[in-house]
Amino acid sequence: MNDLAIPARVLRGSAAARRARYSTIKMWVGGVCAGIVVLPVVFARVLPLPDPVRGALRETSLPPLSAGHLLGTDPNGRDLLSRILHGGQTSLLIGVLAIIVSGLIGVLAGAAAGYFGGWVDAAVSRLQEAQMSLPLLLMLLLVVALFGSSVPIITLVIAVAQWPEPARLTRALVLVEREKPYVAAARVLGLRRVEILARHIIPNVLSQVLVVVLLLLAQAVLLESALSFLGAGVQRPYPTWGGIIADGRELFVTGEWWLVTLPGAAIALLVLGVNLFGDGLRDRVRRAKAVQA
Amino acid sequence: MRRYLITRLAQSLLTVWFTVTAVFVLLRLAPGDPAVNYAPPNPTSAQLDAVRAQFGLDQPMAQQYLTFLGHLLRGDIGESFQFRRPALDVVLDRLPYTITLAMAAIVVTALISVPLGVWMARRADTAKELGVNIGTIAGQSMPDFWIGFVLLIIFAVNLGWFPPSGFTSGASIVLPCLTIVVLQIALISRLVRREMTVNLAAPYIGVARARGVSERRLTWGYAFGNSAIPVVTALGTRFAAMLNGVVIVEVVFRWPGVGELVVDALKRRDFPLIQATVLVTVVLALIVQLLVDLLYPLMDPRVRLGQEARR
Amino acid sequence: MAEAAITAGPGGAFSRRALLQFAGLLGAGSVLGPALAACAGPQTAAGTGKTLTIVLNRNLVSLDNKLNQYDAAVTVQRAVRQALTAIGSDLRPHLVLAESFEATSPTSWRVKLRDDICYSDKSPVTVEDVETAIRLYFQVQAGYVASQFPEQPAFAKVDDRSFTLTTTKPLVTLDSLMSNILITPAAANKAEELREGLGTGPFTVASADSGTGTYKLVRNDNYWGEKALLDEVSISYQEEEGARLIAITSGAADVIDTITPESAASLKKNADIDLIQGPGTRLIHLFYNFRKPAGHPLANPKVREALTYAVDHDSLISSLMNGLVSSAEGVVPKTLAGFAATGKYTFDPAKAKQMLVAEGVSGLNLTVIWEDSEFAGAARVMEALVTMLGDVGVTLTLTQIPKGGEINSWRRGEAGDWDILGNGYGNQTGLALTNLVGQYGGTAEKEKTRDTYHGFVVPEVTALLDQAAAEADGTKRDALLTQAQQKIWALWPAMWAWTPDNVLAKRKRVAALDLSAANSYELSKVQISG
Repeated sequence: MNDLAIPARVLRGSAAARRARYSTIKMWVGGVCAGIVVLPVVFARVLPLPDPVRGALRETSLPPLSAGHLLGTDPNGRDLLSRILHGGQTSLLIGVLAIIVSGLIGVLAGAAAGYFGGWVDAAVSRLQEAQMSLPLLLMLLLVVALFGSSVPIITLVIAVAQWPEPARLTRALVLVEREKPYVAAARVLGLRRVEILARHIIPNVLSQVLVVVLLLLAQAVLLESALSFLGAGVQRPYPTWGGIIADGRELFVTGEWWLVTLPGAAIALLVLGVNLFGDGLRDRVRRAKAVQA
Repeated sequence: MRRYLITRLAQSLLTVWFTVTAVFVLLRLAPGDPAVNYAPPNPTSAQLDAVRAQFGLDQPMAQQYLTFLGHLLRGDIGESFQFRRPALDVVLDRLPYTITLAMAAIVVTALISVPLGVWMARRADTAKELGVNIGTIAGQSMPDFWIGFVLLIIFAVNLGWFPPSGFTSGASIVLPCLTIVVLQIALISRLVRREMTVNLAAPYIGVARARGVSERRLTWGYAFGNSAIPVVTALGTRFAAMLNGVVIVEVVFRWPGVGELVVDALKRRDFPLIQATVLVTVVLALIVQLLVDLLYPLMDPRVRLGQEARR
Repeated sequence: MAEAAITAGPGGAFSRRALLQFAGLLGAGSVLGPALAACAGPQTAAGTGKTLTIVLNRNLVSLDNKLNQYDAAVTVQRAVRQALTAIGSDLRPHLVLAESFEATSPTSWRVKLRDDICYSDKSPVTVEDVETAIRLYFQVQAGYVASQFPEQPAFAKVDDRSFTLTTTKPLVTLDSLMSNILITPAAANKAEELREGLGTGPFTVASADSGTGTYKLVRNDNYWGEKALLDEVSISYQEEEGARLIAITSGAADVIDTITPESAASLKKNADIDLIQGPGTRLIHLFYNFRKPAGHPLANPKVREALTYAVDHDSLISSLMNGLVSSAEGVVPKTLAGFAATGKYTFDPAKAKQMLVAEGVSGLNLTVIWEDSEFAGAARVMEALVTMLGDVGVTLTLTQIPKGGEINSWRRGEAGDWDILGNGYGNQTGLALTNLVGQYGGTAEKEKTRDTYHGFVVPEVTALLDQAAAEADGTKRDALLTQAQQKIWALWPAMWAWTPDNVLAKRKRVAALDLSAANSYELSKVQISG
């Protein structure tokens, strides 16, 4: 670096370098925010926490910072921290499964639409448009009411709600990619079209799509909490974030503010972390792509 | 143009038909029994049968569907089970509230996020911009009902500045509107920033600047003029989405709009009312989408509807 | 959007700037929009002194009770329309529009109307109005009020002010039941819920919007009795308890009724607000499924009894219900006429375990069902039960049934198997007999269509209840009812049962509000000071 004609100080001040630094800052801040929530959730079973389901009624509605209960208890005397962390496992599981499913559907549908064009493209695009004009939340509520509110159902419902976004992006990227010389070369070499798509094109666009899919995790967690809030939560007495908030909302105005505020803060912190991290990552991937080109 | 309109309308009709049919089927398949909600408590089977007969729910599903479609073509969705008057009337009574809330929210969003986005574009990649950027993302990251509750407690309960819920005076709209705006700011302001960054870096800006055009005109007259289309499109799309997407905010603040109505109707399995709500919101969203698309060529002379891009 | 494309051709007729200006105008218009809409929307007249603002917890869909009736609705409906009798605060019938209402035999009654009564437009009340009202209440499909009557009483006019009501079977509670039939001019009455219209009550309807559930009543200056003290009553509803709480603390509401224990606890601390509390008539119980096959542990009364000892109701009452309920001392609420104290629920987990062992029951796994929000804090009570039953070695699986009517197919045993049901049972007549017949008067015939109360069919009990229903002598009737209640209690039909207190919160400026056990009050007597 020091051998260059431009002094390092000036280089650091350049717009490009600043952008790089800011995307790093975003990723770090995001990573820390998400980490604060995700790590304890993942290790909830290992941590020395009271039982999230069984409580002692004499310890009803203790405020945060009470002895033995860092974040207080709910009316049933159950430790709120433990419920948030154990509930986070369910909420995160739903979120992660949902984005895997929606990512898979989205990438496959989008890639097929972009690569094959024609009726495949028309069908995928129409489906996306139809879904966009539906009253989504209402339809989700209906479906959850219809099939019950188990983890697989809520996961699927969220995945179905989310697939259009990665599909749209994949389609756009594949449209560009399929015109590149290496695709023509592969075709000349006699590779089958599906093979070209699966082995060559998709891996090339995957990094950009994955960032979007990661950002969908934030949406999925929000959607799960919204569904629980409107009364479609999972099996009692096992907690989820949305479920804890829905249970606590009538107590919110009567002074037990922690039952809604703290799980809400956990959701907000995680979603903010994921959003920032994904945002920073997106900047970086875009730049990397630009440099490659 | 005419052909374009006809195709669009046909597509829209198809979407409407698909939606009402999907809702019709889902409602009939869903567990739960409307009759129970409209019969006396602890009902006998005879009482339930009477209610079902009254609502026409004793007919086979195909028959019910044909009756429903027949009535729908005549603009009749049926009588709400709980209000015992035409469901469409009940929905249309509530619709002004939802439209007012969505309008207010979209206008406030535009008023805040457009200048914010322009500011961010002009200060692109500075520490201040990074801070504002993170702030808007934080707004977008909070669950909407949670923001609603927090605003409710601070401004309605503790400070008493605004009415807590329902619609009692003009000030009632402030908190629900604010809740929606917090979520939308990030989306719109980031879009404005992106568009403006591209346009501000375009060669014509350099030329204009060299000709001595003021920075203010450069920003608002030149660059923003060219960024307007995607921004207006996005605002339109958000508005359309809000017409059926403010359910949660309406529930939190008991805003007497369509969303609040439909959540209630769902709990009581008020089939005609649910159908009417879905129909009205879908039609409205389609109209707004269409208007946005029609505005397109007016704003950008290069755009003409119904023509494929020249390659 | 898909069809829009970029072309190089010349533009449309409008300049872009003109369009942006237009968009600006639109924006300004929509900022003003809310303000304009505010003038047209429903307003609550706050701060006019003599207006009482009530926020109910359910939509009062109409000012009529043919189809539906719940506690608080009675207060409002009776302010506009009245019946021949009314259930007083002692839960006994009192005369209102009737001057006399006497049984001439177990199957017939003679009724005389008062001669000073009139509707709010000063038109007189006729016996034909009563005849039409009875006919129409029975004509509506699945009406709530009609379902309270075992049969439709036959009407016969005697003269301009008197008539007789005759039944085929003895109906000794007809004077109580008739308190539910509201009188409207015959010409204006229909076989459906009336939203507006004329009544004899102390208030008249100024405006009514059933869609948003907002009503405005004004004083009836032509009222035949003692005139109301309020000028105006404004009624709206909020299903969200928290919203009602905020409404009363912020002063937007004067009265909220039927509040939950949590809200009551928080309102107790508020100096501007009074709580009125009294024993209620609604029974909530954790009822066992009586459709279990003979070999099932729950078919054994000893097992049913053992499980009752596992419920720590004192803790539930103090921690989750803020002391605002009373544990049952019999099979119906003790406020009802004809109630007999038959025993108390006790908490003794050691005894529970010991009895379960004695009956050879171990590793019992029971499914509990209840409809979402069936009673205040339902989910919390059920989740606490998981812990309590867990302590005596019984595993509970919780199935909360979402609202929408699905609970009914569960209750009938069609949606799935269950063991314990959390269910509320209201009472609008003030009579223990109503509850007892509804819950324990099952017959094999009714069970064929699953119309018994969860399979409870004990012919001996049913026979006693039939006898009581036909007994004209009050003392003998109560004796029969006591006998029936003792037999029922010995079968341990519920794991626990309780009656929530009626709790109403009012702002201090509201006075003379007398809440009855039926959870209603007379609006005409309510005053506002200051």
